[in-house]
Amino acid sequence: MKKIGFFIALFAIIFVGCDKEITLELNDSKPMLVIDGSITDLAGPYFVQLSLSTSINNPTRIIGVNNARVIITDQAGIKDSLQFVSNGLYRTQKIKGIEGGTYNLEVVVDQKKYTASATMPKKVNLDSLRINTFPFNGEVRYSVIPVYLDPVTLGNSYRFIQKINDTIDPTFHVFNDNLNNGKVNQRPLRGGDENLKIKPRDNVFVEMQCISSASYIYYNSLDQQSGAGPGGGTAPSNPPSNIEGGALGIFSAHTVQRKTVTIR
Amino acid sequence: MRYKIHVFCFLIYLAGNFGPIIAQSTVVVSGSVRDKQTGESLIKAVVRIQELPNAGIISNEYGFYSLSLPKGNYSVVVSQVGYETLVQKIKLDSSQTINFSLQTKNLLKEVVVESSRKNDNLTKAQMGTETINMSAISKVPVIFGEKDLLKTIQLLPGVKSAGEGNSGFFVRGGGADQNLILLDEAPVYNATHLLGFFSTFNSDAIKDATIIKGNSASQYGGRLSSVLDVKMKEGNNQDYAVNGGIGLISSKVSIEGPLQKNKSSFILSGRRTYADMFLKATEKFKDNILYFYDLNAKANYQIDAKNKIYVSGYFGRDELGLGQEFGIDWGNKTGTIRWNRIISNKLFLNTSLIYSDYNYNVKLKNGETNFNINSNIKDVNLKQDYTFYANGTNTLRFGFNTILHTITPSTFSGTVINSVSKEGRNGLENALYLTNNYRASNQLTIDYGVRLSMYTLMGGDVYNIYENGMLNSSIKLSKSSFGKTYVNPEPRITTNYRINDETSIKAGYARNVQHLHLLSNSVASSPSDQWIGNSYNIKPEIADQISVGYVTKVFKSNFEFTTEAYYKYLQNQIDYKDGAEINTVSDVESVLLYGIGRAYGLEFLLKKKEGRLTGWIGYTLSKTERKIEGINGNNWYNARQDRTHDISVVGIYDLNDRWSISGVFVYNTGDAVTYPTGKYTIQGQTLYQYAARNANRMPAYHRLDFSATYEKNKTKRMHGSWNFSLYNVYGRENAFRISFKDDPNDPTRTQIIRTALFKWVPSVTYQFKF
Repeated sequence: MKKIGFFIALFAIIFVGCDKEITLELNDSKPMLVIDGSITDLAGPYFVQLSLSTSINNPTRIIGVNNARVIITDQAGIKDSLQFVSNGLYRTQKIKGIEGGTYNLEVVVDQKKYTASATMPKKVNLDSLRINTFPFNGEVRYSVIPVYLDPVTLGNSYRFIQKINDTIDPTFHVFNDNLNNGKVNQRPLRGGDENLKIKPRDNVFVEMQCISSASYIYYNSLDQQSGAGPGGGTAPSNPPSNIEGGALGIFSAHTVQRKTVTIR
Repeated sequence: MRYKIHVFCFLIYLAGNFGPIIAQSTVVVSGSVRDKQTGESLIKAVVRIQELPNAGIISNEYGFYSLSLPKGNYSVVVSQVGYETLVQKIKLDSSQTINFSLQTKNLLKEVVVESSRKNDNLTKAQMGTETINMSAISKVPVIFGEKDLLKTIQLLPGVKSAGEGNSGFFVRGGGADQNLILLDEAPVYNATHLLGFFSTFNSDAIKDATIIKGNSASQYGGRLSSVLDVKMKEGNNQDYAVNGGIGLISSKVSIEGPLQKNKSSFILSGRRTYADMFLKATEKFKDNILYFYDLNAKANYQIDAKNKIYVSGYFGRDELGLGQEFGIDWGNKTGTIRWNRIISNKLFLNTSLIYSDYNYNVKLKNGETNFNINSNIKDVNLKQDYTFYANGTNTLRFGFNTILHTITPSTFSGTVINSVSKEGRNGLENALYLTNNYRASNQLTIDYGVRLSMYTLMGGDVYNIYENGMLNSSIKLSKSSFGKTYVNPEPRITTNYRINDETSIKAGYARNVQHLHLLSNSVASSPSDQWIGNSYNIKPEIADQISVGYVTKVFKSNFEFTTEAYYKYLQNQIDYKDGAEINTVSDVESVLLYGIGRAYGLEFLLKKKEGRLTGWIGYTLSKTERKIEGINGNNWYNARQDRTHDISVVGIYDLNDRWSISGVFVYNTGDAVTYPTGKYTIQGQTLYQYAARNANRMPAYHRLDFSATYEKNKTKRMHGSWNFSLYNVYGRENAFRISFKDDPNDPTRTQIIRTALFKWVPSVTYQFKF
């Protein structure tokens, strides 16, 4: 249903919409712990980034939390105490990410404990990247279709990270198989951003992640809120996270496959 | 002290009035009230007897009236806003039928304060009710120069716009889906065109519209917040007429005329926008499609003096498309057949058979693959409504209503997906109602009644039952079986106490129950919004509203001042979980959340209906909150449409025979929205932290519109008028959206961007009539 929002945007263009930067009085929340961790099926080490949220008026940067105890255990009973690297970044030492594995994260900061659990789904093979063209407003537009065969069991979720000539596409691309369970995917990665058009000769990099349904909800709610913001779309809130204890962010266990295609 | 005197007077009245009415033999005078030029029946015309200040009645939806009187000689006074008051002497020694025809008032004639005007609200106990006469609003400036009923009612206190240029509206804190919008009794499920910029009502085909803000009489039901009862014109039964309008965005034409002179008539009215023709002219947008059209048709046929048949229909469709790639079309179809029967001079019956259909289709095409989304809601509705003019003091209205709803939620089909054909769910909505309009005295009127509404789940689908968000059990209802039935009594009462000829106080309580619910993915109304009926999880929404009001004439009776206060409590309100995909999830009920709501406010309206200068000033002070299990930490939060202050000023001034000017000014507190209270970085992307939902405000919204209408000499057969209007005169860039993003020049800085939709929108429209 994203196309609807897109249509309203088109309307705004027709009826002379105008954007202007303004200032607003905003309330600041107390800084909150942010946990951004993932285990993948690639070789380790894996990282957990701990940081604090900050005021909108401050510069955006990672304010690392350096005094934490971070432990990941897996279902085989391996307990990995993560090693501090720098600026809130912690590195695993021995744990190995495998398909179907369940990983439990425990973070303790100032005697406060945060926990999360994630299970890595089985990998669905990314066969290829297909280029899709369509006419739009008098020009040819390009988008990329990740080609994969969704397994027959219902409940698969995917996330795609797209980079166009090394520029990361800020859109949260998440798919599930509610509609096309067991079929070959034909849905393109929507290129909604006018500033990030795909042009001929561009290199498009796609990372496909098989994610859990909890991660799907997390990224999908970010997607529903992004772009829309107050004034359209869903009322924004902190996305539903799998972290217990009152922290922002996500702990994800997912598979990773990468492919690049050149637009011709 | 004064109050005591009134109570005393009231008792005297009771004692004094009941005696003679019971003792004396009464006769009945009944008939219809019509417009002299066009033969259109006049709704809510006041028929009273000069000699008997206590006797009076207002004509019903079909212009019918009935009065029980003692035998005698009387002067009947028939009045209606915008018409010359008619006084007719009658000699009443037996029951008789008298039809009245009223002459339209020349607006520019010096207005004398007439005695009739004092009694305008003689028998009207209704509260929170405003009737909009289409000819009266024709000069109010509107965006794109398109006269629009829904945008005009948004200028009334207690009614709020869903957004810039939007026809959607909120009444007293209710949602956009909580308004019952009726077009000749048929419910209209999506009353907007082009994503809300136009309403589905072609003003040339509309006679009038009444909005009732939660205190509707018991013949109405099914929505919590309001009833917007729109009546189509019947067509001129005296002469043929062609009306039309040519605007920058759309053109329309309507034809009306007699089928049998004085007896039957028809009207046909069509409208189409042509924004897409401008698009075609541009290289960039030439493959895009963007238009809507609608068609209204109505005919009535007088079988004999006692029977009359009305057939009316509406068909409207929107088409949007982006080349071959994407298309969406949606529309409403409604049809109504009504049979008016005057059973006796005291009993009036109307039987209606109504069909209503709303559907949308989304088409996505991607090379060789296709993808479609369809959704549909269909109603077949049978209604029987009796009005019994029992005696001089009691008018009873009773009847039943049976609706079979067939709701097919979003179904997806296409070459690349598993086409899951979801079967339509059926629900049977039944209602029985009874209301009595009791005129206890010349001063006290009480409308009291009850509506018993019932909703039965019908077989043919599987109903899942969720407990605490987890699937608990499933019930498979076989095709011919019935599932759960919800039964809700809805008591309603309004009282009107007339302190003197110019002042009255009102009070009321009403319960409204809603069995159909709208699930919306976004804040603005979208054609893809889904309707869903009650189920084992979804319970009927309930609203209880109490209100008090005060009406008085001020400034030498030239102005009418109304104030009303209301408190409304809402139960079983519906929302859905963050991140939920309500369109694709296999059972949407698995992602729904439920809660309560409350709304309260104070409304003021100062209105001038007659003279060279007409218009009104409205002000609303209000609060609207929701509390949903699973949202905002289960705490109360502001509903998006919670706008503390809301002001509208409408003025129309007739300069001379040819020129009239008008202006509209609106101001309201910005919508309640959620701004971030912090930011953080995840995987290289800036994300925003949020605290309480809707704790912030959009910038205040205000705007001034202006229009001028030039009418050519009216005496000629062909009558034309030009309307020039300017929307947003001082070019305020009202915020449509506020968004937060990284500054492209300095990604560590957060930019706050305000998007405005319109700056100035000028328009020209030519109206003609011959």
